[in-house]
Amino acid sequence: MEYFGEEALGLVETRGMVPAIQAADVMCKTADVVLVSYENMGSGLVTVMVKGDVAAVKSAVEKGAAAAAAIGEMTASHVMPRPISRVGKIVSRHDIDAE
Amino acid sequence: MEKNDALGFIETYGLVSVLEAADAMCKAADVELVGYENVASGLISVVVRGDVGAVKTAVEAGIKEASKVGAIYSSNVIARPHADVQKIIVKYVIDW
Repeated sequence: MEYFGEEALGLVETRGMVPAIQAADVMCKTADVVLVSYENMGSGLVTVMVKGDVAAVKSAVEKGAAAAAAIGEMTASHVMPRPISRVGKIVSRHDIDAE
Repeated sequence: MEKNDALGFIETYGLVSVLEAADAMCKAADVELVGYENVASGLISVVVRGDVGAVKTAVEAGIKEASKVGAIYSSNVIARPHADVQKIIVKYVIDW
């Protein structure tokens, strides 16, 4: 899903792909958020990003991070309530729907 | 990939155990190997799909066999993956 900033962004970073996909699945199911991006950063770190309303993203990240931590190592989770549009430009480079 | 298929994942340290896991999973139950991903730093994962019961059995068997030859990092079964998760999975599909 394309992301242009100015909308809440939720991030969960894990070691390995299995916890990251679990986080993505749980996030999309527990709150009204959509998957923006999935990125293998290297060194085994994988990040998933979702967007939506602030409350929805907060709830989604909370649940997603807990689900990831239950089956692997969750290295970081964060909610950005309203990133500037230039952050959106960075995120859109990793757009899952691109290509 | 069919829409309602369950997904099973096993992530291990190293190629040896992940290959063993993939082999054991496909032999243990009626599942299809979807693909694999080298996550880096030695972490490698395989994904299978099929009916929920088959996938559960496959993942259990895969863990059992793979842990004999190497270290397992993580495993998971998603009974009915969200549509957005399929977007991630299609990136790993091996074109047989």
